[in-house]
Formats: sequence, structure tokens, C-alpha cells
Amino acid sequence: MPLKIAVCIKRVPDTETRIKPGADGKSIDEAGVKFVLNPYDEFAVEEALRRREAAGGGEIVAVAVGPDAAQETIRTALAMGADRGVLLKTDARVVDSLAVARLLAEDLRPGGYDLLLFGKIAVDDSSHAIGPMVAELLGVPCVSAITALDLTESAGSAEREIEGGVEVVEFRLPAVLTVEKGLNQPRYPALKGIMAAKKKPLEVKPVELSGSGIEVLELALPPERRAGRIVGEGPDAVPALIAALRNEAKAL
Amino acid sequence: MPRTFVPSRYQPALPSEQVILNERPGPDAIELDVLFVGGGPAGLAGAIALAQLVAEDNERGGGLGEVGIGVLEKGERLGDHCLSGTVVNPRPFRELFPDLHDRDFPFAAPVPGESVYVLTASQAIRVPTPPTMRNHGFYVASLSEMARWLGDQAEKLGVNVFPGFPAASLLADGDRVIGVRTAASGLDREGKPSSGYTPPTDVTAKVTVLAEGTRGLLTQGYLAWQRIDSPNPQVFALGVKELWETRRPLNVVVHTMGWPLPPSVFGGSFMYPLEPNVVALGLVAALDAHDGGLDTHELFQRMKLHPLFRQYLDGGELLEWGAKTIPEGGYYSLPDRRHGDGVVIVGDAAGLVNVPALKGIHYAMQSGIFAARAIFRALKTADTSRSALAEYDRLLGDSYVMRDLYRTRNMRLAFRHGFVRGTIGAGLATLTGGRVPAGRIAMPLDAAVPRTPGNASAFTPDGKLTFSKVDAVFRSGNATRDTIPAHLVTANGIPRDVAEFYARMCPAGVYEWVDGALRINAPNCVDCKATDVLGPRWTPREGGSGPRYKRM
Amino acid sequence: MTGILAFVEQRDGALKRVSLETLTAARAIADLMQGSVTALVIGPPGVDTSSLGTYGADRVVVVADERLRLYQPGAYTAATAARVREEGPAAAVLSATALGKDLGPRLAARLGCALASDVTALAFEQGQITVTRPVYAGKALLRLRVTGRPSVITIRPNSVTPVERPRAAAVEQGSAMPAEGSVRTVAVKEPPGAKLDVAEASIIVSGGRGLKEPANFALIEELAAAIGGAAVGASRAVVDAGWRPHADQVGQTGKTVSPNLYIAVGISGAIQHVAGMRNAKVIVAINKDKDAPIFKIADYGIVGDLFEIVPRLTQEIKKLRAG
Repeated sequence: MPLKIAVCIKRVPDTETRIKPGADGKSIDEAGVKFVLNPYDEFAVEEALRRREAAGGGEIVAVAVGPDAAQETIRTALAMGADRGVLLKTDARVVDSLAVARLLAEDLRPGGYDLLLFGKIAVDDSSHAIGPMVAELLGVPCVSAITALDLTESAGSAEREIEGGVEVVEFRLPAVLTVEKGLNQPRYPALKGIMAAKKKPLEVKPVELSGSGIEVLELALPPERRAGRIVGEGPDAVPALIAALRNEAKAL
Repeated sequence: MPRTFVPSRYQPALPSEQVILNERPGPDAIELDVLFVGGGPAGLAGAIALAQLVAEDNERGGGLGEVGIGVLEKGERLGDHCLSGTVVNPRPFRELFPDLHDRDFPFAAPVPGESVYVLTASQAIRVPTPPTMRNHGFYVASLSEMARWLGDQAEKLGVNVFPGFPAASLLADGDRVIGVRTAASGLDREGKPSSGYTPPTDVTAKVTVLAEGTRGLLTQGYLAWQRIDSPNPQVFALGVKELWETRRPLNVVVHTMGWPLPPSVFGGSFMYPLEPNVVALGLVAALDAHDGGLDTHELFQRMKLHPLFRQYLDGGELLEWGAKTIPEGGYYSLPDRRHGDGVVIVGDAAGLVNVPALKGIHYAMQSGIFAARAIFRALKTADTSRSALAEYDRLLGDSYVMRDLYRTRNMRLAFRHGFVRGTIGAGLATLTGGRVPAGRIAMPLDAAVPRTPGNASAFTPDGKLTFSKVDAVFRSGNATRDTIPAHLVTANGIPRDVAEFYARMCPAGVYEWVDGALRINAPNCVDCKATDVLGPRWTPREGGSGPRYKRM
Repeated sequence: MTGILAFVEQRDGALKRVSLETLTAARAIADLMQGSVTALVIGPPGVDTSSLGTYGADRVVVVADERLRLYQPGAYTAATAARVREEGPAAAVLSATALGKDLGPRLAARLGCALASDVTALAFEQGQITVTRPVYAGKALLRLRVTGRPSVITIRPNSVTPVERPRAAAVEQGSAMPAEGSVRTVAVKEPPGAKLDVAEASIIVSGGRGLKEPANFALIEELAAAIGGAAVGASRAVVDAGWRPHADQVGQTGKTVSPNLYIAVGISGAIQHVAGMRNAKVIVAINKDKDAPIFKIADYGIVGDLFEIVPRLTQEIKKLRAG
């Protein structure tokens, strides 16, 4: 049976980016920053592609909330193989997870999706929240941070890592799943896919955010670590290290 | 008499059989009309100019219809492998975008003023700016950022820009170039497909534009295959560059000659203000030095301790590091023809660099524009043969590019015998518009210059102002997977002197002499191509490998 | 109620240590707003809640049902939301554990209120809660003011030191909600010799590419075992190469950790790795390259061959433990 899958994705700074607070002191200076498809969302897109292949067909819609430039991020998902894209366009720098979740839920609700996939976390604001929130708003089951997945036509079973173990969770479809690294190995877009992506539909819908009661006071760099010291070279330095850890740092 | 060796003796042959493939394109081939190999200023300006000409033709009802234009780029994104000083002559930008103003272009700031110094180990002696080096009216910029901006313009015009796809081979049909084959990705160390494997893709085109930049592999392959010669061989220099956040603003464009380069080595340094508190600085040294111990990265590190630079860098922070070779041969090193059946060669790949002016970007873009015009005409007449594409060389030959290059034809060559005689020779050459010294000064191939083994380095980087090669590579953003096949091809049984010569020359710490053998740390490679000129051959690796320059 | 609802996490009927951290944070904020702390425990019958009063709970509400032994998202969300609606706290605080990271956002969405997740510091300023949370994997800190009430706040493990604030906490039974049927946790598989997770460990020994091959991680495991109670971590390079499971990865695409002691072995210190461990209280680096960036953030470093240094370190620590 063909599957209808939504993959919610985000445009984020590359993980190697050097972060610098911007002039407003509340967000990052974006000059020279390279933006990419959130790495965890790549796993979500890949899983959608595999599920569609396994189901023998269906439609994959890549949905993002973000500025115009996020179209490029959506194109990456289309180049990997998603069928069409939706950009819920806002230039606001969003820190309010619930505001984003509401926008997504509203757009996804009438879609008739069997599966709604998310990366487990966006590597910029690291809130780990949007997937479960959207599930809650839509009233559908959610399993977050999954590392294994079995699907039948109407239900599924997923594993998620917890501290020192793995939870096995059963759920009914439709469902929200957020994806942890390790579920799959995402493909690189092929040249053919990139060519095809240019012709795939990408709808841009301007949206307004409604806040839930949280505001940014400041974005700052973490305090610099005080300079450490090299206690020595080679194995003979080990006693000095142990002494330092015991007596100075009290860490052993 | 010290031992000497000749690098070319240890250099493997160009792997022509891998570079030129007389094969039919695979069934999954992508068919384009025009393919630009390389997303630098030459390829992108060409793609933009061609897309503009096609659009105008279609508006006029010229009947050309849709023309598929593509740009292949080996870097993870456009600009990641682009590195230049950079002071840019805006002329081709104005030509490409007549409706835009200079302020719309991706430049940092106009050249605020300039100073030229001759350095000694402790002093900086200001000298008048040589006429060829005057930069008034030009702009300080980042080539990485320019490439990204040009890429955006190209995409707006419908050009297919494909970053992350290195071209590995030319596809040939008889003497005609019919496209390229990309490099595979997702291979393991033994060259077997692993997870995430993507096979090579064939891309066919009526015209393939080689815009690979300095020391392009496909360009070398094509010139060798077609036996296209040049009066002098192409010669190269290696530039090492850093970007620094400084405490003290720099408000002038600085060039230096002399120290830390030995008197026999052609080269110099630069320091440009990119932002009030960000400077770009670097050192360029020719690759034909007799001293086999010449280490450009190390000389550059030492150079930063000179008061001229140190006054700005003290208390600052290294933001980025990169390295790249520059084709310096000029007029007499240009290939005899830069076109063929289904192919043209543009920019640095063709050797279009004005060494006395320290500039090549505007030539790169201009040659791309000429290529676009010639290709447009060829497409209109449905004739992309060698004789039709000869139009490109005619346009180039009639332009300021070739006039400039001819005028300065002997400038770099005059330095063959060192700095003092070179300065006199270059001065004469400038004064006389290139007529004196008379005729062509012959240059040997860099790899044919005998080298004297160098002494071991006594330099220790301090980690504040000066950095080791390992640290430098880290600052290049190099993100190469270390589980891919080694891409540098060396001869067997490299002796110690030669191995240490590679180790000193390579700015990225790729080569080491360890336990009596040459060790190659291939993932360190930042694609500068220095050893391709002098020793181990460079071949393409999976897309996105190599440096990730942000503002080089 | 003016005060804080602290969600207390149990695993298999025993309170988790991180819950005492949560409780300590709740107590501190409640004191600033002159409010009280209610601890909410959801789990099987018979959870020993006696330590909750010791760590500052004024009241303890227990929702006990054998069906709630494992984390059941629907029932846990419903029970917690009901308690928040009933008591009207300024905020509900949870630990940002695997459970808290799932329950926190659900709770916020169900209550229609703001969520501040994975915070490392809390304050009460001008009548409102402010929080600090690492973003960009610790490369920057975001300070937020929570203006809505209630709000949901999850607290990163190891960012608060539990402090005893004894009081006589009354224990009440809350009513159990039936498990909602559309999603059900059916089992927890624990690997044999259940290993300690890097996100919760107070000491982490991490290995990188310098170990040369996967088998050499034995050196790291032996050191962690000798220290006792140390988790084994890994850099992205070795996880990507398939040497170690992703669960062990420390860094921006892995886990962000704040242990008391972090020992980085054969790790160069790529920015994305550093982002994940720079909050460690003490960092030790062992690397052959004296210029490796890891030494710039390490408190103590040894330059040299890890294959000589690590066994010696293991041996010396064993001696220490024996003596």
C-alpha cells in the first residue's frame, strides 16, 4: 500500500561552524555561515525514501519552517528523492518550539499522512521538541529518537535508546517518529536527483508565528576555559597527572 | 659538491589512460548542451554569460530553445576550493552585470591605498609601487564568496550548478570531447563500494569547458592527448594564505618582496584588509627553487613574526588557512590552442594569470565570457567543431587579456636567475613594454630543476602567531573522510632526500619520511596541486573532500 | 499553588539519581519565589520516595500502577498534565533524560505552554523564571525569560549538584490514568552488563582516531573499568567509521555531556567534538600531537604515545584503588 509521508526538516548552520553572536546580541552572526540540511533530518528523509521504496510507492513531502533561503534546504531533500516541498516562510528567528510545532501541525493536519518523520533534534537550538509537540497537537502517537523501525500497514514497532538500554515501543499509524543517528545511512543526492529536484514543486506559504511565552534575553559565547597545562610527555607523566587530578582538581 | 636530484625523475607519468576515456556514455548519462568543469570564476562567469545570451536569443525569437548548461564543482559547495589574495579588477563583473553597480558585487571594500615594501629580517623598506602593481579602483574581496555569489546568479538564470561532483575523466569520441565522467563516492580504502556508495555519472555535452583552475587534471590530459604544446612549459608558484581577526585595523593593501624568501626565489607576500578587523595575508613562492628544503608554509609562519605583520596579528586570532598553486608562466606558457573539437579551456586551467599585476580572476572571468560567446555562436550554427570554437581564441587574442599578457611576457621569466637580476630584468621589461629583454626567455619545467636536499627544520610554531601544518589543515576546514582510497600517486622507492623535499614543499603535511619510507597522509591534502607539479600526481577523490574554505 | 512541580523519574521502581538534581533545582527556584515543591512520581507501586523530602520536596504525589512501570508516553503525559492543571505551579521541571526529552515537549504542547529544554542554569529575576541553555551544541549559551505560566523546563543531567534540604514531605496517592492505547512501551532491553550512558556519567573516558583500530578500544574500556563508574565515549570519526555505536558519540551530532571528569584519548579536538564536552568540569587530554586543538581546552595534558600512557594510567589508578 502506498505511503504518504511528511518529513519535517530544518535549515541549520553546519556543525563545523564557528558561532559568533550577532549585533543584536540575541542571535548568531550569519555572515559567512554555511547552512545545511539538519544532519538528523537527513536520516529522516532517508527513512522516508526507504519506507516508500518498501511500500512500493507513495508520496514524500518535505516541510520546513524558515526564511526564503530554506528553499535550498528543501531542494536538498527533493534531490535525495522527496516528491515535493512546502516552505512555511517566516524570517523570525524562532526559539519558541511550540510556535513552530503549531505552524507545522496546522499545515500537516489536513494532509492525510501515514507517517510524519522528524530528525530527533536540530543541531542549532537543540530543543528536541518539535516532533513530540506536533504529535501531541495532532493527537497521534509519537516515538522519539528511534534507532530501529518495523512497519506494517497500520502499525509499527520502534526502538529508542534510553540511558543504558533500549525501549521497544509499539504504535498505530498515523504516527510521528523522530529519528536518531544510526537508523540508516543517508544517501548522497545523485546528479540525476539534483537535476530532477529543480523541477519538483515547492510551495511557499507565508506564515505568522504566535508565541507561547518565552523570549530571548541574550545569546553569548560560553566562558572560555582557563588555559590548562601539559603535565609532561610519555608514560612517565602519569603520576604527575594523577597527583594533579587528586590534589588540585579533586576529580579522582 | 652537494648531492642533487631532479624531481621529474621520481614523478609518475600522467595517468592519461584514466583521464581520457574513449568510451560511450553510460545508459544513465545526463545530457547537457554545455558543461563547465569547475565552479570557479571562469566557469561560473562563462555559464552566466552563456545563459544570458541564450535568454536574449529566445526573447528575440532566435529559435535556439532551451540550452542545458551545467557546472560541475568538486568542492562540497561553491567557493570551498577557491583561494586567491584577493584584490579583484571589477571589469568583467561590470560587463556581465551592466545593470548592477560595484556596490552590488560581492566585494569587501575598495582598495583604500597601497604600500609596497622590501623586507629584511628586521626591517621593512617602503618602495614606490611598481606600475604593474597599482590597484587603485580595484576591490578587496574573498574569492570563495565571489564564487558563491556568481553561483547564485547562475542558478537564477537556470544554470545547473552541481557542487560536490569532481570530474574524473574526459569522455572522447575520436578527437572530440563529448563530456565527462564524475568520480565515484563512498569507496572504502581498498576502492570497493561501501555504505553511501554513489557510482560515477556520465555527463555529456556538445561543448565541455575546462575551467578546472590551476593544474587541472583533465586539462593536462587533454593537452597531452592532443599534443598541444606551448613555447615554454607552464611554471607554478605556491601560495599559502591565512585569514586573521586582528585587534588593530589595517587600512592599506600591503605587498612585500625579499625576506623571508631566499634571494634566489621568485615571490612575495600580501596583506589585505577584508573587514576593519579581518585581514587576509599570504606568501607566494615559485616552485623552481634549487633549495629542496624550501618550505613555503614555514617561511610564511616565520614571516608573521616580522614587525610589519606582527603589529596587526598580535592578540588576534587565526580564522582560516589555505594553500593553492598559481600558474605563473604567462604568455609563453599558454597552450598553443585553447580549443578543440567540443572543448575550450579557460581561466587558470589555460594559464591566464598576469603575474606582475598579481591578478588572474578578471582574466578567468573574461575568458569564460569569451568562451560563452564562441559557444553561443557554435550552438546557433549547430557546429561545435574545433574550427567553430576557434572563435574563442580569436576573441581572447583580440582582447586586453592577451595584450596585457604579451606586454608582460618576460617579466616572470626574468626572475629565473634570482631576485636582483630579476628585479632589473623585470624593471626593464616594464619600462619597455616587454620588448627588453629581447625575445623569449626560456624556462625549464619546474620538475626538471635540480634540487639540493634541504636541512631539517628548527622551527617550532608557538600556536599563537605561528602554526604547524597539522593545525593549519584543521583551519582549512578539511573534512575528507580518512577511509577513502589514497588519491595521490607516487612512484615506488622514493629516496629519503626526495621524500623530505615533498614533506617540506607540501603545505598540508601530507608527506612524511617515517621508518625509512615515504608515508602519505592523503586525507590532509587541500588540493593545492604543488606536488602534482613536482612529484606525486593528484587525482580526484570523492566529492566534498578537501578543504572547506569560507572566505579565502 | 505558587511553586514548582518536579517530575521525579524512576527506573524499574527505583528513583534515578538525576531526579535529585531536578528536585534540587526545583527547590532553589521555589525558594526564590517563596513557593513550595511538589514531587510527582509515576511508576509501579512500591517506589521508595523517602529521599524526596530529604532533597526538598514539600509534598510527594505518587501515581502508582504496575502498568506504569515503563514509560508510557500517553499515560505519563496525561497524569502529569492533570497534576499541573490541578496545582497550577509556575513551572513543571523534568530531567532532560531520554524520558524527559520526550515527555517535556508533549506536556508543553498539551498544556499549550512554553518549553525550555535542556537548561543548565535557572534563576528567578523580577518575578519571572530565566533559564540558560546551551545551543549550537554548547558553542553558545542562550538566556531566555519564561513569560508564560505555567511552563515546562527540562534540566540537563549533571548540571546541578544535589543538595539535601530535609523536610517532612507528606505523601499522597494520585489517581492512575489508564495507558493510552495508540502507543505503548512494551519492553526495555538492557544490554548484558548494562553500560553507563555518557549523558549521565560523572566520568567519561573517550577514544578517537588515535586508537588506530576498533580493537584498541579495549584500552579505553580497561581504563574506565579501573576508574569505576566511568562511561566510554567516542569521537564522531570513530563512530562514523563504525568502531563504536552512536550512543557513545560525544559532540554536536552525538551527545552533549557535562561530567566531572572527561578524559580524551587520541582525540584531536574537532570543533564539533569540543562543543559536546567543553562543559566538563575537568578535561584531560592524551595525544601524540602537541599542537592538537584538544590541548587548548584541556586542563591537563600528556603528550605522547597513548599506547604507552593509557596502560600506565590504568595501572596507576588500579594501584590507587587497591591502596
